Amino acid sequence: MASNEATIKEVDNLQIPDTYEDPSVNKVIDKSTLHKMVWRSLLLQSSFNYERMQGGGWTYSLIPGLKKIHTNKKDLGFALFDHMQFFNTHPFLVTFVQGVIIAMEENKENRSTIRGIKVALMGPLGGIGDALFWLTLLPITGGIGVSLSQQGNIFGPILFLLLFNAVHFGLLFWLMNYGYNTGTRAIASMRENTQKISRAATIIGLAVVGGLTATYINFSLNGTNGSFAIGKMKIDLQAGIIDKIMPALLPLAYTFFCYWMLKKGRSPLTLIGITLLIGLIGSFFGLFAWPAAIK
Amino acid sequence: MHDVTVLQAILVGLWAGIAGIDQFNGLTHIHRPIVTGAVIGIILGEPTVGIITGGTLELVWAGMVPLAGAQPPNVVIGGVIGTLFAILSGLKPEVAVGVAVPFSVAVQAIITLLFTALAPLMHTMDVAAVNGDTKKMDRMAWIEPVILFIGFFIMAFLPAIFGQGVVTAAVKAIPVWILGGFQAAGGMMPAVGFAMLLKIMWKIEYAPFFVAGFIAAAYGKLPILAIALLAASVAAYDFFINRNQTPTTPAPAASADADEEEDYSNGI
Repeated sequence: MASNEATIKEVDNLQIPDTYEDPSVNKVIDKSTLHKMVWRSLLLQSSFNYERMQGGGWTYSLIPGLKKIHTNKKDLGFALFDHMQFFNTHPFLVTFVQGVIIAMEENKENRSTIRGIKVALMGPLGGIGDALFWLTLLPITGGIGVSLSQQGNIFGPILFLLLFNAVHFGLLFWLMNYGYNTGTRAIASMRENTQKISRAATIIGLAVVGGLTATYINFSLNGTNGSFAIGKMKIDLQAGIIDKIMPALLPLAYTFFCYWMLKKGRSPLTLIGITLLIGLIGSFFGLFAWPAAIK
Repeated sequence: MHDVTVLQAILVGLWAGIAGIDQFNGLTHIHRPIVTGAVIGIILGEPTVGIITGGTLELVWAGMVPLAGAQPPNVVIGGVIGTLFAILSGLKPEVAVGVAVPFSVAVQAIITLLFTALAPLMHTMDVAAVNGDTKKMDRMAWIEPVILFIGFFIMAFLPAIFGQGVVTAAVKAIPVWILGGFQAAGGMMPAVGFAMLLKIMWKIEYAPFFVAGFIAAAYGKLPILAIALLAASVAAYDFFINRNQTPTTPAPAASADADEEEDYSNGI
């Protein structure tokens, strides 16, 4: 970078080095830093958007730890930038990932190892969290509250909030400590194999990204004009043709189109513009489904 | 019939704003209808009706939760508007639900739009990150919550003060294809995020694992956890093979790679 301040264009083409300018390892993370990060994790979705999902909030939540660990400003910049990438997990389990990752950062593990472990953890925990909290904890505590509410009893909502948040905050703090200790122990036992661990982490990470590509991207031509007729035969573009070739074909193709554009030096902002354009044009011609209840 | 005073409408709006933030940040769940119903009831001087309506609306939204990032009809506006109309027009809670759901669907479309429109913000945040400007990042983290607060305030205040007819008409005035377009774009948008991740992580020797993960999810319908565990077994296998073969030199094991990729696809 020519000047000290990077621009959006420069940042887009930035290569993140795998190692650090200052590789010295110091134990700087204490209980209070971990707790600060728990409180910040409440803003995990504060920058939520469909490109990075929780990436911005995730980085925000790590700031107290990263600032203590990377006193070298360049190292801090690359660490923050690395964490700004796509991130999505369950907000109630995120502190476990935070704990593991901050232990690895503290130990100055290679960036690719940290990245791999992060991606490998976030997807599965997202699925577990959905089942545990949205489909179990919420119905149970909600049900207990509602049984009182339906009699007009004000303790319905109060009991609901107490029960729900006892579990919520209890887990957030416990998982942070548990994650940090797990991370620290795991690192101690894998010290001499950094290169291979990094490789293993990337393998898991990429398999998870492959799975996420198939499940997280919604791109199907199921609008009113998403079908055509040949004689009496009605053919459905999505279900009849595309899904027959390969399920999740369009998400895969679009991901690699974006990858190819990025490789050609196009900025992600251009890609967001293109995505919006495709959405609007496709919707105008009835290729995409329209929201139903407000017609 | 009740009339809503300006003060009450403002209070309803403030509560909706706070609840709107809590739905995405904090997640203390004060935004659920069971709580919101009681609060709106207290604001309008009908706590008992509010609590009972909130309980009913809570059951309606029990199954409508954000799974894998997909957004159901908005629960905050559903709870606020549902309770509001139940109290104002004396509707039964079950009928108030019918009034509340179209609003919540419209609000959800607006939120989809917001989550799409705010993607460029990430690139400004990237620059702050690379510069190590954590103060700026701290400030930027509050942009979206503030927008949510203002948005939810307006979306609850307007129906409270003007009543349901005017607002329904306004919602209907938005061409549905535009909402559909933003919804479709929002659905496609993670592809940009994944592409950026791939730009950092991708090496051709790792391609088979991406493919295997994709196939496991697309054809096999395996949950992400299963895919991660499978990949972890392969990675562990790879790790031990490499360690036993060559403890010092960096992996020359092209043949070992081919073997274990084969092994993985057979495993699925």
